[in-house]
Amino acid sequence: MLLPLLESGRNLRPMNTLPTAYAHPEALVDTEWVEKHLQDDGIRIVESNEDILLYDTGHIPGAVHIDWRADLQHPVIRDYIKPEKFAELCSRNGITPQTTCIFYGDKANWWACYALWAFRLFGHENVKIVNGGRDKWKAENRPMTREVPKYPRTNYPVPKKRFDKEIRAFADEALAQSKSRKPLIDVRSPGEYKGEITHMPEYPQEGVLRGGHIPGAQSVPWKTATNDDGTFKSAAELAKIYMDQCGINPATETVVYCRIGERSSHTWFVLTYLLGLDNVRNYDGSWTEWGNKVGAPIEKSA
Amino acid sequence: MTEEKMYPEKLNKIINLVESLPEDERRETLVSYADSAKKQEPRAGEKFDLEDIRKDEECADKVGVYLQVDDQGKAHLRMTLGPEVQTLTRAMTAILCKGLDGVTPQEILDLPSDFVTRIVGAELVRIRSQTTYYVLTRIKSICKVYLDRQRMADVA
Repeated sequence: MLLPLLESGRNLRPMNTLPTAYAHPEALVDTEWVEKHLQDDGIRIVESNEDILLYDTGHIPGAVHIDWRADLQHPVIRDYIKPEKFAELCSRNGITPQTTCIFYGDKANWWACYALWAFRLFGHENVKIVNGGRDKWKAENRPMTREVPKYPRTNYPVPKKRFDKEIRAFADEALAQSKSRKPLIDVRSPGEYKGEITHMPEYPQEGVLRGGHIPGAQSVPWKTATNDDGTFKSAAELAKIYMDQCGINPATETVVYCRIGERSSHTWFVLTYLLGLDNVRNYDGSWTEWGNKVGAPIEKSA
Repeated sequence: MTEEKMYPEKLNKIINLVESLPEDERRETLVSYADSAKKQEPRAGEKFDLEDIRKDEECADKVGVYLQVDDQGKAHLRMTLGPEVQTLTRAMTAILCKGLDGVTPQEILDLPSDFVTRIVGAELVRIRSQTTYYVLTRIKSICKVYLDRQRMADVA
């Protein structure tokens, strides 16, 4: 349990209040554990990738595929699916509200964290991430299959609400966060943050007109939270980065953003589950909204 | 000229095949093409007129394009892809190497790019899959260099 931190600033907080263990270690499983529990009842392994066809080339035996765009996003409006569609998605994948969904994917789990976050939006509580994701599983030569599993259909109840208020931030809330100088974490690459580029390195332009960052945002690229093999850094290392160096504490609201919300989902997972900060929201509109929004304040910096 | 005649015959056959498939089979076919991308790599003893191996901002990993033009003026392509290149881009690599084999560099240069979406299909088209176009751009780029050099040699 984290001790309440002093509102007056991080400099007054003694170092020994930083956590040394993950706040929710149950939210993280390693590849070895997954391989040993492939046949367990009550779990569903879910692969979510950026590479659209990657699941089709081979996946963890028994894993289902949930596509961040086709399955989780509204087909027309820039928003998420309706609760009815979420219930249908879960039902056809044999998921019940009690099922523990264990997410993994490419890109050090960007999209796995995004899918997990989307599941949390609909109130699905039992969620975990495979530490190191798909790349680690593959590097360890663990079993892969192209066989698409079939699970008996369930009857997932339609969620009564979407938890937008709790874990999602919209543009006006990001603006309020900026104005009140509350923690805003920009998890994009330093070049994107500085406004030198308007796309991720090695990626196509995704239609952003202006470069820079939301005024007051701190630059903490998502990768800061991971080791070279894509696994998450230790609790002590994460606490040093986010709590000690950025001054994030459990008492304040924090908003994270990137370009379309996937890299920031990764950081959201780190802050929420590994550091146990309760008031963290993901601004999924992110830079593709902010950088195109007429009149939105932008800061460029070295 | 009908629309089909805009594409070289081999490519046209692939476009028509993939386009006619239901979504599940289209995915399977694309994965199968992606699997065969490795077979498009240069083979021992092959010689090329031009080689262009580089890592650009637009693509996640290094891509190599190798062009050999035979004495009939027909192009033969080989390609190498780094491990980070996405599955759809691998598929497109195999499709283009097979579909453009035996056409002239000028025909490759004149090729419209609208067939890419016909192959990929509406469900798989998204901004981050635009590197499928990148492979075509790289192939065109090596053909342009080849033709420019030919023209300069002709002038000299």
